Amino acid sequence: METLLQQTINGLSLGSVYALIAVGYSLVYSILLFSNFAHGGFLVIGGYICYFTLKSLGFNIWVAGLASLVGAGFSAVLTEKLAYKPIRERTNVTLYLLIASMGMSIVIENLFVIIAGGRFRALPAVIPTHPVHLFGVATTSAFDIISLLAAVVFLGALQLFLVKTKWGLAIRAAAYDLRIAGLMGVNVNLLISIVFFVAGLLAAVGGIFLSVRYTLYPQLGMITIKAFVAAVIGGLGSLPGAVVGSLILGLSEMLTAGFISSQLRDLVVFSLLIITLLVRPQGLFGKNISEKV
Amino acid sequence: MSGYTEGIIILLCINAIAAMGVSLLTGFTGIFSLGHAGYMAVGAYTTAILTVEYGVHYVPAILLGGAMAMVVAYVIGVPTLKLMGDYYAIASIGLGEAIRLILENWQSVTRGARGYPGIEGYTTLYVTLAFFAVMAFGMFNLIHSRFGRAFKACRDDYIAASLLGFNTARYRVLSLVISAFYCGVAGALLGGFLSFIQPIMFDMIKSTELTSVVVFGGLGSMSGTLIGASVITLVTELFRPISQYRMLIYGAILVIIMVLRPEGIMGQYELGPRLFRRLKDKFSSQKREPGEGRSSS
Repeated sequence: METLLQQTINGLSLGSVYALIAVGYSLVYSILLFSNFAHGGFLVIGGYICYFTLKSLGFNIWVAGLASLVGAGFSAVLTEKLAYKPIRERTNVTLYLLIASMGMSIVIENLFVIIAGGRFRALPAVIPTHPVHLFGVATTSAFDIISLLAAVVFLGALQLFLVKTKWGLAIRAAAYDLRIAGLMGVNVNLLISIVFFVAGLLAAVGGIFLSVRYTLYPQLGMITIKAFVAAVIGGLGSLPGAVVGSLILGLSEMLTAGFISSQLRDLVVFSLLIITLLVRPQGLFGKNISEKV
Repeated sequence: MSGYTEGIIILLCINAIAAMGVSLLTGFTGIFSLGHAGYMAVGAYTTAILTVEYGVHYVPAILLGGAMAMVVAYVIGVPTLKLMGDYYAIASIGLGEAIRLILENWQSVTRGARGYPGIEGYTTLYVTLAFFAVMAFGMFNLIHSRFGRAFKACRDDYIAASLLGFNTARYRVLSLVISAFYCGVAGALLGGFLSFIQPIMFDMIKSTELTSVVVFGGLGSMSGTLIGASVITLVTELFRPISQYRMLIYGAILVIIMVLRPEGIMGQYELGPRLFRRLKDKFSSQKREPGEGRSSS
């Protein structure tokens, strides 16, 4: 029983980090309708900026965190301007965007292999990881609770941004139809930049927590595959779907690790994906769009 | 011929065989897969186990490796190919990774993550060239056959194709199964070339590489795929001294191609008399040379 409770908290915490990544990915998908594989790169950029501002410049975690979020946000915007904008302006074949994003992900990963080296780096102990006793029934680490809270704060802020602000309204309109939103007077290029900035920012938050949980290395971006899986389970392009899918994924991963075997956790993730796609191909919250002839 | 040149030619043929398989699926049937390294792994492991543990001759073992990849592809393909576009691309990542993870965890058969050593070095230059020639001949005939046209119809407009009476679901699965056979054979040859295989060799990066070779050569052009495979293999060898930057350049090339010439080197055209006639027409219409019209029959 105690293991169950502990693994549930761990799973929610891991799932919330996936949610931060999956929501950004889903946001980009909802506007431009392609899978941005470079999303993992934004996470790595965030992690490394945080590491170097902490280590080399000696700032505290708040400054480092802020620098990392802003840095990752701007590199996401830059990626869009360099690689996706020229393609997006010329054709509407999303396959080309997909392949360009694969290229960008390779570029970002290997930039860090060259700049920072391929070795594993541990972030300094900036986030407390001491054990916390929960009402005397379960023990968990403070880090899990902090990452869960941070995810709730950031996702809440995103929700407020989307519902309460003018740009949030524009983004929701563009998710229905980017072209018509453009015709209604929305500055589409600025809107896409904002979406990428938000996606990069959220990925950086995920990146910081992931590099504390595991370690920081250039291939850390590969973890985003799980966030993609979570987004697909929840329904591509749906933000609540991305959150629910991530939580399901985090929970099943941690429960498998706790009760069956930690080597099988990835296998469980992928079988969950296949089962979802077979039973409900559009995902839990996805729109079932039938193509027009 | 020195051993090094021979090695490059063998590697080139292996990459070309795998790329032809992916090209059939991605370029001709329009299904974007990011998990084809998984089928290479299935072929490689089947062949390795058959030759090492059961003493099967390598030729039937390689073919059985390909056949095993076909079986796996069929079992996977029938349910998952109902998915379209990005959904299948993400699912195929999951499938490829799942195959790799099963190989890594099935210790008793595959010897796990440490790899499978001691494979007989059956992949000599002539064996590889023979396999390549036969498989390329088969593929070029296939894409110009009734099946090839059906695949292209599924790619261009699957609703229209199904309204015309093509069983699109069947053709999509068929295309996946054939492409899995090509990848399985390529994996089996790779195992014989290196004498050692490891699940991590067949990870998502390998799948990405296969797909990018096809994109680089041109979606919907088999000769473009062969050119793409040769260029990428040779460039990879060329950059081996600065291997640090190799993957960086490779990623950058992928982006630049998408930005500048997204249809790839060859576009949808095949290398052959028709392309030359087309180029000639284009050339002559630009120059407006009077004698040009008479010489062409």
